[in-house]
Amino acid sequence: MAELRQIAIYGKGGIGKSTTTQNLTAGLVKAGKKVMVVGCDPKADSTRLLLGGLAQKTVLDTLREEGEDIDLERIVKTGYGGTRCVESGGPESGVGCAGRGIITSIGLLESKGAYTDDLDYVFYDVLGDVVCGGFAMPIREGKAKEIYIVASGEMMALYAANNIAKGIKRYAGTGGVRIGGIICNSRNVDHERDLLRAFSKELGTKLLYFVPRDNIVQHAEIHKKTVIEYAPDSNQAKEYENLAQAVIENRDFTIPTPMTQDRLEEILVEYGLMDLADDYKI
Amino acid sequence: MANTLVEQAKFTCALGSIQTVLAIPKGIPIVHAGPGCAARQFAFAGNAAGYQGEGYAGGGQISCTNSTQTEVIFGGEKKLRANVDGALKILNGDIYVIQSGCTAGIIGDDIQQVAADYRDEGYPVVAVDTAGFKGNNYLGHELVVNAIIDQYVAGKGKKKIRKGLVNVFSSVPYQDAYWRGDLEEIKRELQGIGLNANILYGPESAGISEWDDIPNAQFNLVIGPWVGVSSAKKLEQKFQTPFLHYPIFPVGLKETGRFLREIGAFAQVESQRVENFIHREERKFKEYFVSFGDLVSDLGPYLPYQLYTVADSNYGIGTSKFLIEELGFTPEKFYAIESPGSRNEAFISELLTQIDSRYEGNISFQYDNRVIQDEIRDELKKTKVRSVILGSSWDKKLATENNDSILIRLSLPITDKVIINKSYFGYRGGLTLMEDIYSSLFDEGMITNTTHADH
Repeated sequence: MAELRQIAIYGKGGIGKSTTTQNLTAGLVKAGKKVMVVGCDPKADSTRLLLGGLAQKTVLDTLREEGEDIDLERIVKTGYGGTRCVESGGPESGVGCAGRGIITSIGLLESKGAYTDDLDYVFYDVLGDVVCGGFAMPIREGKAKEIYIVASGEMMALYAANNIAKGIKRYAGTGGVRIGGIICNSRNVDHERDLLRAFSKELGTKLLYFVPRDNIVQHAEIHKKTVIEYAPDSNQAKEYENLAQAVIENRDFTIPTPMTQDRLEEILVEYGLMDLADDYKI
Repeated sequence: MANTLVEQAKFTCALGSIQTVLAIPKGIPIVHAGPGCAARQFAFAGNAAGYQGEGYAGGGQISCTNSTQTEVIFGGEKKLRANVDGALKILNGDIYVIQSGCTAGIIGDDIQQVAADYRDEGYPVVAVDTAGFKGNNYLGHELVVNAIIDQYVAGKGKKKIRKGLVNVFSSVPYQDAYWRGDLEEIKRELQGIGLNANILYGPESAGISEWDDIPNAQFNLVIGPWVGVSSAKKLEQKFQTPFLHYPIFPVGLKETGRFLREIGAFAQVESQRVENFIHREERKFKEYFVSFGDLVSDLGPYLPYQLYTVADSNYGIGTSKFLIEELGFTPEKFYAIESPGSRNEAFISELLTQIDSRYEGNISFQYDNRVIQDEIRDELKKTKVRSVILGSSWDKKLATENNDSILIRLSLPITDKVIINKSYFGYRGGLTLMEDIYSSLFDEGMITNTTHADH
């Protein structure tokens, strides 16, 4: 049996991490892989497409209401194609400490034996930026050794990706964590593919896959399904299957080389993103 | 001064200010922190302050949320509210002060809102963020006093200024192990010159009615280099109450006289009344002094005269000044242990060098007693001169192993003495300090050494 690959997905808030992770998961399932998805976001919407809705009781809610003596079945639900789905959950907006929640949640999953031998992949879908130590939990202590950053050609997505790379670099020495590449979730920005390639190269990694923009993704989301389940014959389903294949075949894991703010802005200028404002006309 | 690691801290964290609340008669601290936080404060600024007991609602019986993982992740306000409900139900108090510790401070529980909700219902509840990482218990004390002023006293409003009424802001209760005796003597002396003091803490205080009365005072009195100044400024802003800052905690005959005269002048007390009191007190002081003159002349030469001070600037300056100015001690080094911040440090240094220029270059702002001890030990070994150390129980060995020096327990921790109403403040305090220093002549190793065959 192949070694379990634990993968964390990071990226700017709203970039499409959860959508990408779940569609990628569906692609892996189609390729015959056993996958578990751990949502690390208090909103608990990381497994909605795999489960066909927000049917999941979160680890932390269960913990709060029933204590630590809980059965794994209470918190691990089976979704599309046998994927195992866990939502860490967290406090309401503006109170408590979601970061500590993630630490507790992953610790509980481990102690309860959620990481079974038959799994090929575990995905951690992590909220937004690496805002504090709690959100770095999947990459600390070598839990996830493989990181993919979801980005687009938008400036703020790249700023966030660069920041996340700093977090990865910090833990690369002790936890053995590596970046596996950038996944572009296209926003149809000008020169997006070239920009992302250049950005990835500068970051010491590669553009793993370019996922084109397609409204079918939104349609599938409305129907609480991944694209592969909703429209298996569509072009976009094929794209996600290809993305899954790219992940399966990927062997390039590096320690990222985050860039300075100045250098990042240079790249943006080079690919025409910064001076777009000058062409702005109504 | 910033140490990377501290072996023997001379203070505790901001949460230690729960002891300030306990010092107010029927003051109830409600601690919003993890298990052990409050007990730790009591162990240091309670037990190690000469075994002063748990007080009305403190120590191991303190009201506390004992926050754990669930409160950290989901926020602890719900548990805090349950805790306040319980405290209001079963603890008969006059003021309830919610104090957050580190975890609640980090996750940002809105304790201010919790307290405000209870105030809306008419309960005297105040909240103050005393997360330990914010600073030490000197800071915590100021935070607590100022929170009570802002959230409680301000609501009482000013009625009518009463001439002769003074609010006293001085040492930090419990962190100053002698606070009860000090406040008793301060009140007595102020009464002696015709003033009526809201002493605010301890057995001499009438409790919350004194706090209610704060806005009606003729003036506020801050005794000591810096603690309390921020409260006096706050009250000046809120109620236009003037304040007198007397930076020296007076000990002994001369300084206490200066202290009372300055207050008398500030408060426009009839000077004859002030002088009469001073005259009476000085006469007594001198009579006591003369009465042990025989001992001084017989055994005085055995008494060391080099002085090392390891205490906060409040008590340390007061006692050292008395020993230097009135008993002829030689200042060797002053260690101010309260981490007062750079502006206050400059002020404290200035005060000390004004008292005696020999302090120049011999003032250290250091709160790690291990570092202090190492320095004093080296110095004593080098000079081979017996000394008086104004320190703590931690310095017992240092004093005995080095040329039979004398140790006066002035700062925390004090774990080998019981302290009830003892004080080194003022006229009586000066006599007590002399009593203790000269009594030490009869400690093992002192006079006994002089008649010992092998000495």
